[in-house]
Amino acid sequence: MSNFSVSFRTLNHIQVLDLKGELDAHTASDLEAAIHKCQSSGSYHIIVNGADLMYISSAGLGVFMAYIEEIRENGGDLKISNLQPKVFNVFDLLGFPMLFDILDTEEEAVAKFEAA
Amino acid sequence: MFLSKKKKTDVQKNSTSRTGRTKLVFLSLIFALCFGVGLSFHVFEWATQTPVPQLLRYVYEGILLFGYGSLGIVLHELFRSRRTSPARSFWTASISGLLTLFIGAAVSQIGDLFVGDIPLGIPGFDLETGVPLALAYIFKMNVLTLAVSTFVLVLLIKLQDLVLVKRSKSSQRNWYMMLGLMVLASLTVIPNEAGARLTEIQNIALIVVVVFMLMNAFRLSWIVFLSFKEKIATIGLSIVLGIILFFMFSMVGEGAVSGILVPGGYAYLDYYSPPISLFISQSIVFAMLYCTTSFLSLLFHLPTSGEFAQRAGERAAMHSLSQVAGHVFDPEKLYSTITAAPVESGSASSAWLAVADYQTGSLKPVIVATHGIDTEKIESKIDYIALYEDVAQRKEALHLEHAPADHRVSAKPGDGVGSLLVTPLMARDKVLGALFVAKDVVRGFERDDLQTIGIYAAQAAVSMDNAQLFEQQVEKERLARELSIAREVQRRLLPQRTPEMPGLSIAASSVSAHEVGGDYYDFVQLDDHRISIIIGDVSGKGTSAAFYMAEMQGVFQSLSRLSPSPREFLSHANTALAHSLDRNVFISVIYGVLDVEKETFVMARAGHCPAALVDQTGVARYIRTQGMGLGLDRSTLFKTTLEEEDISLNPGDVFALYTDGVVESRSPENEEYGYDRLLNVLSEFRHEDATEIHKAVIRDLDTFLQNREYDDDMTLVIIKWHGIPISESGTLIIPETESTL
Repeated sequence: MSNFSVSFRTLNHIQVLDLKGELDAHTASDLEAAIHKCQSSGSYHIIVNGADLMYISSAGLGVFMAYIEEIRENGGDLKISNLQPKVFNVFDLLGFPMLFDILDTEEEAVAKFEAA
Repeated sequence: MFLSKKKKTDVQKNSTSRTGRTKLVFLSLIFALCFGVGLSFHVFEWATQTPVPQLLRYVYEGILLFGYGSLGIVLHELFRSRRTSPARSFWTASISGLLTLFIGAAVSQIGDLFVGDIPLGIPGFDLETGVPLALAYIFKMNVLTLAVSTFVLVLLIKLQDLVLVKRSKSSQRNWYMMLGLMVLASLTVIPNEAGARLTEIQNIALIVVVVFMLMNAFRLSWIVFLSFKEKIATIGLSIVLGIILFFMFSMVGEGAVSGILVPGGYAYLDYYSPPISLFISQSIVFAMLYCTTSFLSLLFHLPTSGEFAQRAGERAAMHSLSQVAGHVFDPEKLYSTITAAPVESGSASSAWLAVADYQTGSLKPVIVATHGIDTEKIESKIDYIALYEDVAQRKEALHLEHAPADHRVSAKPGDGVGSLLVTPLMARDKVLGALFVAKDVVRGFERDDLQTIGIYAAQAAVSMDNAQLFEQQVEKERLARELSIAREVQRRLLPQRTPEMPGLSIAASSVSAHEVGGDYYDFVQLDDHRISIIIGDVSGKGTSAAFYMAEMQGVFQSLSRLSPSPREFLSHANTALAHSLDRNVFISVIYGVLDVEKETFVMARAGHCPAALVDQTGVARYIRTQGMGLGLDRSTLFKTTLEEEDISLNPGDVFALYTDGVVESRSPENEEYGYDRLLNVLSEFRHEDATEIHKAVIRDLDTFLQNREYDDDMTLVIIKWHGIPISESGTLIIPETESTL
């Protein structure tokens, strides 16, 4: 039933989450768990790679909102990269680009972390 | 067995025992008297060495009949069934048979000591007259007859117990008919000389008796109630009794083996009294027949004893469960009834029930009922959690024949847990709990106990499952009722009718995918020429979204009148909502003020799907001003980034405000409805009024979805600006329609 998955990658000190499938009210908890896992392992530098993310609902967007404050308080950040145009549109409509670094490629996101 | 094994109280017996005892003594005296008379009769014959007249012989037979009848009643009283098992009946019969054989053999030896010159096997009676030749023969004759008669009577009493198990009127009649006919057949030989052949009529009478014997020989209902072990034991005893009867028959009957143990045994009986002798023969024939049918039937029933036990168990379990079923509405009572039944029916000495604790969610089993043992003792002596998890995992019963030997049981012999049976209570492949049944002795559970408890557990599980389903159903109905109330409340939060303004038509609708949703639209008439319009979508779905939607409604209704300007309104709304919204919840909104006097629509978008605008010529676009969703930012960023758009209205302009449920709707082929398709429909129907355009969009959406259910809340507001009416009569200027599309 669930056609959403999160996989973990580590790039130097950055935790990369590859999202795949559709992130909606039912699958939001999977992403929540993933981000929570990053936090509890002390990694606050997170890139969410949405190359394979086909759909996101408002509940899915809510997950980012739930954690960003805490991540930033801990000196980290959550950056989003490689979004499909349609998915980016959803982020954009809500004004997420004003709150998050949303970048075209993962490399740009990494570079942005390096620069900081 | 779960059938209640009520011990017959002796009270009843005691009350009748005194009269019963005097009756027995009286009857015994009668028998002794008759026996004495018989003895004197023989002694008289011996002394005179002449046969008595026929008439006197009839009197003698009559007295004997009377005497032995009394003996029968006495024995019946003494050996009457005390609810003994079939095996025990066979056992009693066998023992008395052996005793009789022994007496017979001993007596015949003693007799030979007295009279040495008579050849073996030849009875000491005058061949012509039948008069005894010596006192020793009278002694042998009387003792033998007494012994064999007693045995035969005991035998018949014991067989009667078996034949009349589960008696019906007809079976009882058949049995007494057989006994009666046996007596009658015996009486027909009174005139016979000792050792004489039977006449035709006597043979016919015997054939009738045999027919009844056959009928009674197949009365074997008791077999059904035996366990496997008991059947084996009874088979053995039926063989033993059969052998004893065979020797007995050779002692009393005629044939090649006649007289192996008791030389001339039959003759003695026959000389004593031909009817008694015949009655004895008949009884032994019947007993042999019954032993044979019992043996064969038991043998054939051995493989099916499991099923019989199961059947009996089922019946018993049903009985117990008829009580259980009544407690479906009261789990506490249900638990205690389930636990009590195995103990009260005698299958176990103690029992307890452990149920996975769904309330705490830990799924750790807790003891919810005990019987015959207390929870403290269980917890200290038995690791019931480990046992529970074991059976829950294996999904089958665990039988600890020697419970104290198991590492999970630390009970000592005195603790009442010798053997333990743990049965998982499963319904629909789910383990609901485990029934622990203990016996104070080691290896206390028989095979049929296991089966019965197994069946019982299965049915108890069904009852528990039903109780849970019932509870869930009640809960579900309660929720459904409350949700329908919530739905009604929410429906009333939405405007009941669209506002009316000259030159303006508005149509709106909202459907929720669930009972309640997070979509919102509303209007406030600010004055005679301005209305404020809002459409919003709370992130997430269902009840939580519905609450925020209600809050949004409150903010809109109060704030819009105070600060109608879109930027002002949205900034205030963002601040107002920031405190109550969860961090992961936001509301996307389009808010605008339409002024029919100035012919403007000023709007701002806070993260919402862009409004669609189609003008009279068919030029369509989305108004996508910058703005974040409400609740995303709680600082000044929200206000500084928020843009407003001031649109001057032209007659024929159509605005469509909608939630993402519209554009993100998926067809069965998983295609999204999309922004383009929406614009196309709006463009195609732009000449209609708002209601018709609204209908057209919904129709198109339904066609696209192919009657699939909406999986998101869906709201659509269509606003059409027709233009200021120029005529006094109030007719609108209807813009010229395009000739072609």
